Amino acid sequence: MPKTSNSYLRAVADGLCDWGVEAFVYVPSSHAAPVIRDLEARGVRAVLANREEEAVGIAGGMRLAGVRAAIVMQDNGFGNALTALGTFTVAYHVGLPVVANSRGGVGEYNSMIQAISGAVPRLLEALGIPVHELSRRDPVESWRSTTSAAAELATIQHRPVVTLFDALDPAIAGAR
Amino acid sequence: MNRLEALERIESVTREWALVVTCGATAREMATVSRSERHLPLLDSMGLTCAVGLGVALGTTSHVGVVDGDGSLLMGFSILPTLATTRPANLTVVVLDNQQHASADGMASQAAQLDLAVACAGFGFAVDEVADGPALGRALERAVEARELRLVLARIEPGNAEGVPLLLEDPAVLASRFAAALEAPS
Repeated sequence: MPKTSNSYLRAVADGLCDWGVEAFVYVPSSHAAPVIRDLEARGVRAVLANREEEAVGIAGGMRLAGVRAAIVMQDNGFGNALTALGTFTVAYHVGLPVVANSRGGVGEYNSMIQAISGAVPRLLEALGIPVHELSRRDPVESWRSTTSAAAELATIQHRPVVTLFDALDPAIAGAR
Repeated sequence: MNRLEALERIESVTREWALVVTCGATAREMATVSRSERHLPLLDSMGLTCAVGLGVALGTTSHVGVVDGDGSLLMGFSILPTLATTRPANLTVVVLDNQQHASADGMASQAAQLDLAVACAGFGFAVDEVADGPALGRALERAVEARELRLVLARIEPGNAEGVPLLLEDPAVLASRFAAALEAPS
């Protein structure tokens, strides 16, 4: 059964739309699925990638062609994407927004995912990629404004910028 | 046909195209053929050439070519089903198949043990196999006329050209020039 959206997840899609997103490349994730389906329903062009580094290549190529493109994925896929982010989007100054649901916090139900997901912010920061984290501490309005502002930051700084949103936290998952 | 000859042929036929070029010796050899602003050499992103080319093709009306190697294609093989399901008509993929990772000490690639043309055709797009310069040129011209995604598999000799200098330009400058060339009317 498809996961239902809520005000927080709609705010992520709203934020990308506020930025003017024209296309997004996604790697399937059950917890990012409401955002993906929401963007598709709004008529934003969607491209399915099989791996996260592939998504970096496709979305980065679209950005070079002048398309307002972003990536929607889950944070454990950053392990796959690091080399592509470092050798392509960072080195070539590609302003690419990436939004990813985070795993491994409260509400987590899998035993194996914390090691990679917990390390993601530090891995990205080690590459010089700014990370903005959205959690239960942030009001729903700031989920929207931060997503939009982070995407704009990627645009004006010509660098990838990542926004992580914690959709598993019961305080978020249980929201309407 | 060695790689330098293949690249010279590609450049002679694709002067109106945007080209995304795979890393290592291929990028360096292409830079000795032409330093065109229409070229985007991926200096260290092995396995990403087709993905970047696909993204560019989805965002422009220009014809886009990808110059990949067998080793790089195999490293990012998951792009083939994505290419097959997106099918931009303005994209042509050229795979220079020397059956080795020539930029990695000439280590054999798995292409030596399988038929890349059959594997690629299995994803449903047209594949032209060529082994000399004139046939490569004709395949590229056919690719534009066909107005469909096509893959050209060019069999080339192993090894790298001698005496080719490193390509040490700032990647950000390469990207900026390339993006500006895409924006310019053709």
